[in-house]
Amino acid sequence: MARPVDASGQTGIVLNIQRYCSHDGPGIRTNVFLKGCSLRCKWCGNPESIAFKPELSYQASKCVGRKECGACLKPPFPEGAFYVVEGGENDTVKVNWDLATGVDEAMVSLCPPGALEMFGKRMGVDEILDEVEKDVSFYRSTGGGLTLSGGECLLQPDFSAALLKGAHDRGFNTAIETACNVPWAYVEKVLPHVDTVLHDHKLTIPERHKKWTGVSNERVLANFKKAYETFPNADFIARTPLIPGINADEEHIRAVLAFIRPHKNVIDYELLPYHRFGLGKYELLGEVYELDDYKTPSAELVAHLQAIIDEAFGRTGQAAPGVKP
Amino acid sequence: MVGAGHVPGLNAVVMGTAVAAGHLGWEAVGIRDGFDGLLSPERYPDGGLVALDPGLIANLDPNGAGILGQAPRVDPFHVRRVNADEMVEELDLSDLLLERLKAAGIDALVGVVGGRGLSILYKLHKKGLNVVCVPRSIENDIAATSVSFGFNSALSFTIEMLDRVRQAAQAARKIGVVEVLGEQAGWLALQAGIAVGADVVLIPEVPADLAAVATRLKDKVTARRPYGLVVVAEGATLVPPAKGEAKPNPLKASLSPLATGEASDHVIRRSGQAAAAVAEALQLQLAEETFPLVLGPWVRGGAPTAVDRQLGMTYGAGAVRAINAGSYGTMVAFVPPDLRFVPLPEAINKVRTVPLDGGFVQIARSLGIFLGREL
Repeated sequence: MARPVDASGQTGIVLNIQRYCSHDGPGIRTNVFLKGCSLRCKWCGNPESIAFKPELSYQASKCVGRKECGACLKPPFPEGAFYVVEGGENDTVKVNWDLATGVDEAMVSLCPPGALEMFGKRMGVDEILDEVEKDVSFYRSTGGGLTLSGGECLLQPDFSAALLKGAHDRGFNTAIETACNVPWAYVEKVLPHVDTVLHDHKLTIPERHKKWTGVSNERVLANFKKAYETFPNADFIARTPLIPGINADEEHIRAVLAFIRPHKNVIDYELLPYHRFGLGKYELLGEVYELDDYKTPSAELVAHLQAIIDEAFGRTGQAAPGVKP
Repeated sequence: MVGAGHVPGLNAVVMGTAVAAGHLGWEAVGIRDGFDGLLSPERYPDGGLVALDPGLIANLDPNGAGILGQAPRVDPFHVRRVNADEMVEELDLSDLLLERLKAAGIDALVGVVGGRGLSILYKLHKKGLNVVCVPRSIENDIAATSVSFGFNSALSFTIEMLDRVRQAAQAARKIGVVEVLGEQAGWLALQAGIAVGADVVLIPEVPADLAAVATRLKDKVTARRPYGLVVVAEGATLVPPAKGEAKPNPLKASLSPLATGEASDHVIRRSGQAAAAVAEALQLQLAEETFPLVLGPWVRGGAPTAVDRQLGMTYGAGAVRAINAGSYGTMVAFVPPDLRFVPLPEAINKVRTVPLDGGFVQIARSLGIFLGREL
């Protein structure tokens, strides 16, 4: 497949481009999701963004079955990659994910009902920016622009830097969502082109961070601190995906506040109540969701923790219920 | 090597393998925690391999949970690691594994694995590894063998628990709805249901009509017998609504309102939802109260039954016979009265489901057990 190349010469692996977003930076925005992540958060709602390479997905509800189709049961699909359980009333195809690793984009295009798809494709900078530019009138009226998300957008530093610089050149506001578990050199390359940095404080204690995300948070916190100091003109917004039983407690929220409040360019701290929207996607990838039994936080808990944040930012002047000064 | 997922009495397979190998004058070693003992030897101060010498085997408890331990993931083609840059990644370490097996002087591998493990070991076999597999499945859903190691222990414990639930239901005058393992095949639900004389058994092979189930329960639950017992396999499905979808809906998906879009139309891997869904739906249609209970993962623990101890020893020794015969890339299969070595492709991508015209279904019908709809 020919790779689209533009003036920057940069291409990257893109999962999705989502227009009309309003929660990931100022105004109305277009979110560009890049593939590849350096963490394995057990609650991840975007499992299709974790692997760098484009990967196979299978939506059984679209499969019309062996009798009507059966295309994937023949070459060029790898032997044993797809099968039908004999003896049942249902002839919907199943995937042997261990033997389907060789399925590529060309093969997927041979699935008439579109049950097989590839998550992710290589795109060029101008190709993406042309898509982003379609909503330029919204950006002008709302102060919006481009948000790079993921996965971890800093893992494709040259591509991300070129995209964000290109966005600035076209007059768009820029934002990124990052967990910042990357070498500082990556951060340094991208952040000069970012107006708003949405960054995750997932857990406070290094050992617990490692347990739930795969790595310790020491480098992450060092990157955050250095970024606050190195890029004083960027706005930083801290975020915590709030998961009861893992990090939805006052101690974590107060620890994050203690970390960010000395830095005046950290303008807000947002809570992202855990949801289970990603559940179905794990099945599409043939994976198992490890956080199956966890529940979404109650409205009362979220309000309580939000009140602590509001107080720290001087927005209410009142302590949250039950919170000691 | 023992794959992911616990079943009772894994030591019996280890013993059978080691004893039979010893009789041939071979040296047997076990790999700790799946393939971790070879791929991450630094984690094991005493070494990632266990010498299965006669002294150790003589003192090994055949009821034990497994001297080799287990890893949550056993796939050398996708090994999760933290790299030098402190970033998590998945690596294909299959070549490294083959190198280390060779360096350790291991000529052939016996893998005690479930359905997915068969595919992984088949891939390793295609890369040159001499592999023989022992089928291990709580649900008895592995094709090409009549019985997998672990099933009988799970069945015995399930029957014991169903007896207790029936007593509880009797005392409380309610209808117990019990979910048991069985994602793709209903052997555990059906055989246990027959053993305890359940009123209803719902299995993945027979999409159920809950209105028909309720009607049947109204007949069976009477003033003189004011309780009932419904056994539901976790992968049980419902018949589609009259003008609904063409395919049955897994019960589990019906209780995942927060999953989005079409992706939620099929299985959400979460045990415990099928019993709740059925119990609630039936209670809405009946005068009696229902209560859900999930046996699910509990049946994986405990001691093996006599059958599984014997089967474990047999499968272990059978694997050594397969190696001695040079039958690599095979699975040891019990096809009464024979022990056979079947090529792995005969077991991969197939599920040993309950045949609707088979003996167990006929027996259930003779006993008045309703299977979710008229067959």
